[in-house]
Amino acid sequence: MFFDLSWIVHWGLLTVVGLLGIGIFLPSVFYRNAHVQNFVAHGAAMAGSVAGIALGIAGLLAPTAATFSVSSNLPLLTFQIRVDPLSSFFVLIISLSGLAVSQFAVGYVREFEARYSIGTMGGLYNAFLLSMILVVLADNGFFFLIVWEIMSLVSYFLVVTEHEKAETRYAGFFYLIMTHVGTAFIIVAWLVFYQQAGSFSFEIFRHPPAPIPEGFRTLIFATALIGFGTKAGIIPLHVWLPYAHPAAPSHISALMSGVMIKTAIYGLVRVYFDFLGGAFPWWWGFLILTIGAVSALLGVMYALMEHDLKSLLAYHSVENIGIILMGIGAGMIFQSYGLPHLAALGLLAGLYHTINHAMFKGLLFMGAGSLVHATHTRDMEEYGGLIRKMPWTAAFFLIGAVSISALPPSNGFVSEWLTFQSLFLSFQIPDLLLKIILPISAAMLALTGVLAMACFAKAFGISFLAMPRSAHAREAKEVPLTMRIGMGLLAGFCLALGFAPMVVVPLLDRVTAGFTGVTIAEKIVAGGGFALAPGLGIGFASISTPVLAVLLAILIPAALLASAALGGRLRKRYTKTWGCGINLKPRMEYTATGFTQPIKQVFDMIYRPTVKLETEMLEESRYFAKRMRFETHIEPVFQKYLYDPVVKVLQKLADRVRVIQSGSLHVYLAYIFVTLLVLLLWVR
Amino acid sequence: MVIHPDLGSQLVNLCSALLLLTCFAIIAQRRLSACVDLFALQSVFLAVTAALVAFLTGAHHIYIAAALTVVIKVIILPRILKAVIERLNVKRELVLNINIPSSLLICGALVILAFYITQPIISLGFLLTQDSLAIALSIVLIGFFIMIARKKAVTQVIGFLVIENGLFLGATAAAYGMPLIVELGVFFDILVAGLIIGVYTHRLQDTFDSVDTSKLTGLKE
Repeated sequence: MFFDLSWIVHWGLLTVVGLLGIGIFLPSVFYRNAHVQNFVAHGAAMAGSVAGIALGIAGLLAPTAATFSVSSNLPLLTFQIRVDPLSSFFVLIISLSGLAVSQFAVGYVREFEARYSIGTMGGLYNAFLLSMILVVLADNGFFFLIVWEIMSLVSYFLVVTEHEKAETRYAGFFYLIMTHVGTAFIIVAWLVFYQQAGSFSFEIFRHPPAPIPEGFRTLIFATALIGFGTKAGIIPLHVWLPYAHPAAPSHISALMSGVMIKTAIYGLVRVYFDFLGGAFPWWWGFLILTIGAVSALLGVMYALMEHDLKSLLAYHSVENIGIILMGIGAGMIFQSYGLPHLAALGLLAGLYHTINHAMFKGLLFMGAGSLVHATHTRDMEEYGGLIRKMPWTAAFFLIGAVSISALPPSNGFVSEWLTFQSLFLSFQIPDLLLKIILPISAAMLALTGVLAMACFAKAFGISFLAMPRSAHAREAKEVPLTMRIGMGLLAGFCLALGFAPMVVVPLLDRVTAGFTGVTIAEKIVAGGGFALAPGLGIGFASISTPVLAVLLAILIPAALLASAALGGRLRKRYTKTWGCGINLKPRMEYTATGFTQPIKQVFDMIYRPTVKLETEMLEESRYFAKRMRFETHIEPVFQKYLYDPVVKVLQKLADRVRVIQSGSLHVYLAYIFVTLLVLLLWVR
Repeated sequence: MVIHPDLGSQLVNLCSALLLLTCFAIIAQRRLSACVDLFALQSVFLAVTAALVAFLTGAHHIYIAAALTVVIKVIILPRILKAVIERLNVKRELVLNINIPSSLLICGALVILAFYITQPIISLGFLLTQDSLAIALSIVLIGFFIMIARKKAVTQVIGFLVIENGLFLGATAAAYGMPLIVELGVFFDILVAGLIIGVYTHRLQDTFDSVDTSKLTGLKE
């Protein structure tokens, strides 16, 4: 049996690399036929993803980590790969999303066929998947940086697919700068390791010949947090997300938002629990928890104010990364206080939310892509009534919305509930401050959940219910089958992750056990495998999503039946609701702006909204308005007070440097000449 | 026939010195086509030096390099350059960034500098061609200086080719030539570079009605 697993790992790895490698180059061969390119590229990606799923599951179940290594001519660089439970788990996430998104892309990319080179797009798409898989598998710092950089660059090229739009170019440029700043910090973290341990091999990072001094450990902690945090989109490093994710084609947004930012979570867990494992100072976990709580809350609050569906989803990524970090941060705090079981629980909750978010965010972005495909706009105010035109899309989007709002019995509920539990169990920490802070962060998480639900009530209600608000929405048609299957796959994964936590938890336990040294699966899974009770010995709370689902499935029809039985005969009357005798028109509908107005008022300290109301009166009378114009904006606080000053200083410096860039060939030649002479005199 | 090593060394030095002399002649020349002729002459001296080294050391592959020098640098490249000059009608005088007397003074200084820089290397050497190294470096520096001091694109090509001659001399002097495959590659590069620069000059003429590369500043924002 175990022999079989290592066989699967070995061949799974080769197949993934091989198939995705084929997917990179083969589409360009069929340059005459965009259709064929589309099928070849996304077919290869799907096949590669299936192999990736096998690799991920086998790697999770395998008793020992498998390593593969190819040496290179370059010093310090070894193409070293390690398949351990953590990397396998992330390979699994990438491959599950990759499978569904590639299926979706077959239909979605159709409309790009006439305008762009599908060979290039498809090749880059495969390169993107492959680079993400290699990022989580890399076992050498140098190799890691190479694939990390490839991932960033390839995703940049995919973001600027529609490069003829100025806003897309701006989004891409912004992303490129932010991701490189992040990479710079990761390089610093790796260099500190190298300087302390003398090698770029992760194995040496893990077990340095001499213990790394506390100051350098803190330096690594901070640089890794900034470096990976930029990619993950923690506040205040999140500013690129709401630009880049909407600008990319939707299947790319689904991968970027669902999966790529997760590689940063992988990096953080790898560095903190694996490399720096053991006892952290308590404030590390505290910092991560705080950043998580702030990101979660602010992320969802900004999401609420967005009417561009894809920007809204991008801000929700900030929120969910925050929730994931809250779990991880709680785990780190428990680790500091020597509570390994609770540490495992916190980390497990974070990882569970990681896979959940990948599934439902991928699903929602594909749903948004379907809406864009059908209506050719991203503005929610132009949707409306789409549930009748696009019932399948509506159903899948609803599943995603329920999951992201963490309503029971969805998968989002399970992981957020586990996060709550680990935060509540903080009463076991001997420190009074943390005993108070952790429940407060739980309260912030609760507020986040409520706002997320309000946000998706808005997103779903405004987009799919009521009457079409524009010609675009009136002429919308259901998307092709290929796209529906893609969404259906992820919707299915979402439901499975929600109904079967007792299968998922033991798998995740294999990941966390490696870092905390204890297994908690038997303790958590209770009730004959149908319930979760994360009290860890203290009878605290328990829950069973399958039972909840069954209860809901029984109770809702039962309630309907009971009301029908008790309430007498159902009479149908066909009259207009709320019509007051007037014909209802789309202009009377609740708008997205109107829906969020109360929340904007409540939190105006954070949003700092500016409202402009211009009224033009009739000339005959001051009491009748001819035209009214209403404008409202919320202040982009982080960009205005954090980024703009930095950009200004940089531009000033650049202007200074520009003086030497005269544009004259002779002057440039003279620069080289003088440099050469100086160097020659130097070496003499 | 056996030549006394000292005499051989003297002959190599003589040829190298002639190479350097043609450099100064290029600097002092005002007419463009004359510059090309002087470059061809310099290449002839280079070929003679290479052949001499080949004869003295018995390294036969240097003969091939010498033959290639004659074919490419004495015959083909000057023809290409002349053709460009004809076609673009740029026979007129050179345009200078730095006038000729001061150019000559600067080049003199460059030669002194080159000798000063290479002195510690030469004193370590044991080859009979070792003294040529300083001359080779001087030629490289002067070639570079030509590229900076002359405005027209064609003169910059000449400067570039002079640099290459200097490098070739340096390689022959310091190590009795590079491996043959490298030399072949370098010759191919030179040929391609000559062609590309020919095209580039043409485009420059089309765009700016001039081959003055200082007009390229117009491309700056």
